[in-house]
Amino acid sequence: MRRQIPFALVFIFGIFMVFQYFVPHETSEWAYEFLLDWIIVIGIFALALGIWSLFKVSVEKIKLGKEGAKYSYLTLVGLYLMVAFGFTQQTGGSLGFGYFVWIVLCSACIVALMRLRAVSDSGAKRMWGMVSLVTLVAAVLVAIFDDAWAFFLYTPEGLQNSMFRTFFDYVMMPILATMFSLLAFYIASAAYRAFRARNVLASLLLIAALLVMSRFNPFIPGAEYVAKASNWLMNVPNLAAQRAIVIGIGLGIVATALKVILGIERGYMGKG
Amino acid sequence: MNRSTYIVAAVVVLLFALSWVLHTLAMSGEADGVTRAFMVTMAAFLTLAIYSFLYKDNAFYKLAEHLYVGVSAAYWMCQGFWSTIVGNLIPRLSEGASNFFQQPYQASSWNVAYWIPVILGIMLLMRLTKNYGWMSRWPLALIVGTTAGLNFVRYLRSDFIVQVSSTFVPLLGDKELHPWLGFGAFVSNLDLSATGQLAALATNWVVFLGVICGIVYFFFSKEHTGVFGRASRVGIWILMITFGASFGYTVMGRISLLVGRITFLFRDWLGLIS
Amino acid sequence: MKHKLMIGVLFVLFGMSSLWAQTEPVEADSAVVDSTELYPAPVSHLRATDKPNDHGHAIVVEWETSADDGGGKNNVVLYQVFRSMSFDGPFDSVGTAPAGEGRFEDIGSKDRSSSSFIPDDTDLFYQIDAVTADPAIRTPSDILDPVQSSGQWFNTGRVPVLVAVLIFGLLTGIFVTSAKRGRELYVRPIGGIEAVDDAIGRATEMGRPILYVLGLGTAADVATIASFTILSRVAKRVAEYQTELIVPTYDPIVMSVAQEVVKSSYFDAGRPEDYKEECVFFVTQSQFAYVAAVNGIMLREFPATNVYMGKFYAESLLLAETGSLAGSIQISGTDEIAQIPFFIVACDYTLIGEELYAASAYLGREPKLLGSLKAQDWAKAAVVVLAIVGLVAANFGWLEFPTLFRVID
Repeated sequence: MRRQIPFALVFIFGIFMVFQYFVPHETSEWAYEFLLDWIIVIGIFALALGIWSLFKVSVEKIKLGKEGAKYSYLTLVGLYLMVAFGFTQQTGGSLGFGYFVWIVLCSACIVALMRLRAVSDSGAKRMWGMVSLVTLVAAVLVAIFDDAWAFFLYTPEGLQNSMFRTFFDYVMMPILATMFSLLAFYIASAAYRAFRARNVLASLLLIAALLVMSRFNPFIPGAEYVAKASNWLMNVPNLAAQRAIVIGIGLGIVATALKVILGIERGYMGKG
Repeated sequence: MNRSTYIVAAVVVLLFALSWVLHTLAMSGEADGVTRAFMVTMAAFLTLAIYSFLYKDNAFYKLAEHLYVGVSAAYWMCQGFWSTIVGNLIPRLSEGASNFFQQPYQASSWNVAYWIPVILGIMLLMRLTKNYGWMSRWPLALIVGTTAGLNFVRYLRSDFIVQVSSTFVPLLGDKELHPWLGFGAFVSNLDLSATGQLAALATNWVVFLGVICGIVYFFFSKEHTGVFGRASRVGIWILMITFGASFGYTVMGRISLLVGRITFLFRDWLGLIS
Repeated sequence: MKHKLMIGVLFVLFGMSSLWAQTEPVEADSAVVDSTELYPAPVSHLRATDKPNDHGHAIVVEWETSADDGGGKNNVVLYQVFRSMSFDGPFDSVGTAPAGEGRFEDIGSKDRSSSSFIPDDTDLFYQIDAVTADPAIRTPSDILDPVQSSGQWFNTGRVPVLVAVLIFGLLTGIFVTSAKRGRELYVRPIGGIEAVDDAIGRATEMGRPILYVLGLGTAADVATIASFTILSRVAKRVAEYQTELIVPTYDPIVMSVAQEVVKSSYFDAGRPEDYKEECVFFVTQSQFAYVAAVNGIMLREFPATNVYMGKFYAESLLLAETGSLAGSIQISGTDEIAQIPFFIVACDYTLIGEELYAASAYLGREPKLLGSLKAQDWAKAAVVVLAIVGLVAANFGWLEFPTLFRVID
């Protein structure tokens, strides 16, 4: 029974969405919009599960002393920092020195707590316990007595916190852009490995890639004809293949969706 | 950690400190200059730490990677909480909660329906328990069923009906899809130029045959032998041409991403280019 | 004397200026000319109907253009549409149509609080003004009889889609039933799918783990659902061979489903005690942070086999190249057309597009799944046949056939 109800729900909602597509009436549209909103809300609850999983994996790595465990401290500190920034905001002219002291104290407390869980020696445990207590008390005192900033738990001011935005601009964005730019190196190494005409198919891939890469290069001999050949390649066989792939993928998606709705495909729900 | 590691680490810390000091001096007249100088230096070092991965996995890459994972996970959590929970959900659930969170209450007779995803979300969290984990399947079923139904009709339309009707192109006669007017009309309208009627018809024939052969390649339940096999072969050739063209097309775009990061390092961090 | 002379000179000057003014031709003031010369003819045959195939709150107004629109005085520049909820007004402007146009769709919001809300099942009155370049010079039409908007319960413009749904459903039903009755169904070999078992065996022999990447899709993406099915097969084999499995996930819901799938697979393989929940874990919901973490896993854990199945974007090449550097056998499958070339170049085996969706049938060989695969092939055959018939029809004059495929929203 516990396993049948989810499949029944899949069928009901799946069939409803199919019918909804053909019913333009307002009632049907409202139901459609509700369902899409519900999915977004459920996704946020799921994010809590995800964060808990990340936290648990990092803590376990530290506790078991696995290789690379020391870097998990950084994951936890990074997690804490953005949460702290996202729920605090300055109340004075600037965040003030005390805000950064509070950040450092809280980070030290997290590290100390993780070390407390990880060590087995009672003396070390006592030491890390003291450190975590002291840093926690200090952090609480700084939070109480520093007026330059405050917790904002009821408005999204935290998203406007200058450190929240700074970390986005100077930590997240540079790494994102750098990871993206690694593609330039990887595409070169992939091309070097793959562009050996081992067989007809590899040769076709190689020739087509070279033609398209050369199309804006005015220095190669016959540049004009290369550009024309390249344009023809992009507009004719490329169009044909794209359409064939799209038809295949579309039918694959349609078939899989129908199998899911009818309960033929059950692998995604575990044992069914 | 061996001696060389300590030396490398010390050099990196020194360079970091030097860069921070120099940038602080350069930004001495600006508000929060010290913080900004630190962050610019941090951005440059994180950039170089990621690039060091091209050589091999190392401590700096691990540092940048783990920091990025923690920061980004929490970033999306904060965004999700403030924009979806506080921005969209709470204003529909209760006036009191909306007032507490200083959000305008959205009164509607349908607001009670928004308690359902809250209940389903709590059921999803039951995954963390031992005995009630089975409840988490219900919200999953809603999500999977809803999107399966949505995708079923939409892809049937866009990837089946629209694609079939897109293949109705002129193969005879002139460039427009007019009825066949006879060979006399065909010959008298014949235009051999590169943009003329014959070139357009030849293009349409290539596209049409390419689509058919490409579809034949994706047949699973028939052996690819004989004429069918030959058509399938032509199909995979056309697919390979497409993939090669797509690969070549993307190369320039990827190179430009690299130019962007190099510009940041040489202009914003080192100040070597204006 | 002097005084009289001065008065006389002034009088002459005044008289001369008046005479000059009177002899200058007086320019006709355009507003003063006979108004019937300037005002355009009104529109005629005004009619309004409820907009079909919609959720209501919309009216289509049509008319025959003014005689002075492109003809006659040729001074009509646009038509202004007015609406009211009573015959006596007040009439509010709801939009304009350019000259030459004889149709206007008055589409309102269904949200009652919106300023553009049009109530359903309520009398609405329309009037059209034929307007010249001077907005003050316009000719209103007669006020139209009341019309009401309402929502429809069936969109007739989507009948082609309904037919396709019914045909596809029928094909699936026929072939699944036929397969369940024991009819043998042939499926051609696909390299990438056949390599999965060998790759798992290789990992077991080398004592190294298998890395399974579900991609960046959500549980709502069909490619991810197809990937779950493949994961269940892989996990079952992994459980039987007692190899380590690593499944880093991008989406928390995908993580929940993947945990469920892997756990069930271990139960199916008769090894529930070997299942470790931390083998399926959430990383982050940021694209390149996820990639950075997975790259790190590849170069630290050195998996023998990397399986990439699902939705991938720009990170596909980063993952595949790093895996290649780590010396792993790589099997990939995605429906993202832009990423397939990179997987083909960097991976040992690639499932192209639809092959990803066929993989579950191949791996399990369940009759129901094979039957569904057969239905997919028949649908492809239908595409080919319809394309040929449609081409012939369109090129030889039967233009009604292509219109059967037209979907009107």
